[in-house]
Amino acid sequence: MINSITIENTLPAVFAGSESEPPVSTSCVWLKNLTFSRPDYYMIEAESGTGKSSLCSFIYGSRLDYSGRILFDNEDTRTFSIDRWSAIRREAIAYLPQEMMLFPELTVLENIAIKNKLTNYKSDSEIDRMLQMLEIDNKRNTPARLLSVGQQQRVAIIRSLCQPFDFLIVDEPVSHLDARNNSVVAALIDSEASARGAAVIATSVGNKISLPNLNILTL
Amino acid sequence: MTKTSSRNTLVRRLLRRNISAGQLIGFALANLVGLSIVLVAMQFYRDVTAVWSDDDSFISRDFMIISRHVSGINFNDRGSTTFSNTDIAEIESQPWARRVGRFTAAGFNVYASLEMGGSGIGTALFLESIPSSFFDDLPGGWNFTPGQNKPLPVIISKDYLTLYNFGFASSRGLPQISEKMIGMVPLKLSVSGNGVQQYIDARVVGFSSRLNTIAVPEEFMTWANSRFAEPGKTADPSRLIIELSTPGDPAATAFMESHNYEVAGDRIDNSRAAFFLGLVTSVVIVVGIVISLLAFFILLLSIYLLLQKNRKKIHELMQLGYLPSDISRHYNLLVLTVNAAVLVIAAAGVTFCAGLWQQPLASIGVSGSPVWPTILVGACIIGAITAGSVVAINRRVKSVFRL
Repeated sequence: MINSITIENTLPAVFAGSESEPPVSTSCVWLKNLTFSRPDYYMIEAESGTGKSSLCSFIYGSRLDYSGRILFDNEDTRTFSIDRWSAIRREAIAYLPQEMMLFPELTVLENIAIKNKLTNYKSDSEIDRMLQMLEIDNKRNTPARLLSVGQQQRVAIIRSLCQPFDFLIVDEPVSHLDARNNSVVAALIDSEASARGAAVIATSVGNKISLPNLNILTL
Repeated sequence: MTKTSSRNTLVRRLLRRNISAGQLIGFALANLVGLSIVLVAMQFYRDVTAVWSDDDSFISRDFMIISRHVSGINFNDRGSTTFSNTDIAEIESQPWARRVGRFTAAGFNVYASLEMGGSGIGTALFLESIPSSFFDDLPGGWNFTPGQNKPLPVIISKDYLTLYNFGFASSRGLPQISEKMIGMVPLKLSVSGNGVQQYIDARVVGFSSRLNTIAVPEEFMTWANSRFAEPGKTADPSRLIIELSTPGDPAATAFMESHNYEVAGDRIDNSRAAFFLGLVTSVVIVVGIVISLLAFFILLLSIYLLLQKNRKKIHELMQLGYLPSDISRHYNLLVLTVNAAVLVIAAAGVTFCAGLWQQPLASIGVSGSPVWPTILVGACIIGAITAGSVVAINRRVKSVFRL
């Protein structure tokens, strides 16, 4: 169980040396002390190239090219072992990467199953219901490579919900969705997150997910 | 269970995507060739050296049996082929000689007859004895008590049996006899001399390739010489057995050469042949190992290439929460399967090849070595290659955890 994620004086390695210039000088995240706590919702607004996806990767443990510290409940994540990270990714932090990371040769159902069979979290009918809700149930047996980007985005969202989590990090979850789909996705994420008492950290360069009570931060 | 297995099926489907059958077959063939060469050479060496290392259980290599060089025909000058007490004292004083024993020759006549299936063969014989303390391992019942009804134990030279089997018996259409068989056949010795004659039951209890004589226990020789030999006819020994401080001491060989003594059952030729055989085998084995090593590198490169091609997928699986071991397991299993197949085929190959030469070897009386130690060595080689691959795979997969 992770109750808080603290970003402490963190700076991506690529920004080293330009601390006094924008975007670092104007950021509310870089080189600041910032804590995300359950069960709040956060929106990180950013312009392209300000390190939004890097922040997600730093928190998710898939990149270490930063200075400063990132703490899970006051524990420095830099010291975590690979096994610990794997457990965190199955049980504590769900992540929707911007590039979605679907396996193109697997079908929609298989792409979801490859996560859900690792966590055994959702039943087949629950997955079905989510597919229907996001209106991609007719694509269930279509290989992911044949889906449009918007459809892929919705599959990836469902996949990211197929696990227990304390934090859900969604990197530009609705960048390719229209307003109607945006609110459907937002409703799904809201209900899933509140069911778990979890926090949501969403990012956006424009199209913002319409979650309620967003704490908006500018990167 | 089914969830786990279908999860593994999905992961396997993803990871097996870029496996190159050609590369795997290439590795398997190369490794098979290398391993087969190593194992066949090793088995051949073990089987062939069994001819030499089929060592005497009675007299070990640290003993040297010497005689004088016989030139022309010595009728009267018997002294020139025997060792005098001064000769023996000189040898005893050498630093390489631990102790010297004399061959005691029989001063009487011996005629041996052998009954086999109704037909008998007989031959005049000679007997010798050496002190029992020179036997490493005394054959069972190696003693003699006069008047007791126990057959007299006899050790004969292996060469005599070979001479009989391959020279005499095969040209005369007589049955060839094995060592085991001859031990079961009772031997009747007619011992005479000094006006006395007596029949004595005897039995061959062993064969020696080092002891180039027909040996009986010293107790018997002492008793028989006192009874059948003409009194005062105790000649100097014509052969000596010397225990060496260090086996194969070149100083001893040099001494024998300078004194014109002949060393019986000399293994120099054999050891030279063994040396060259060993050399050739080592070269062949090294070639086999080099091929196996190259095969191992093919495997490693092929795996690295495969992991490189699947790098993104492996990273993404770990992003989903899969452990590196969940992923490397699939590749390890693949390597294990291929290597096990290579081992089985190589083991079958070496067993088959050993059969090819063990049969002709058996017909000249050499029993081959069992194949399993060779296969065990093969299993160790394959085990090492597999372990190396598994370590490499695990490390590579882990390295993809962060791109």
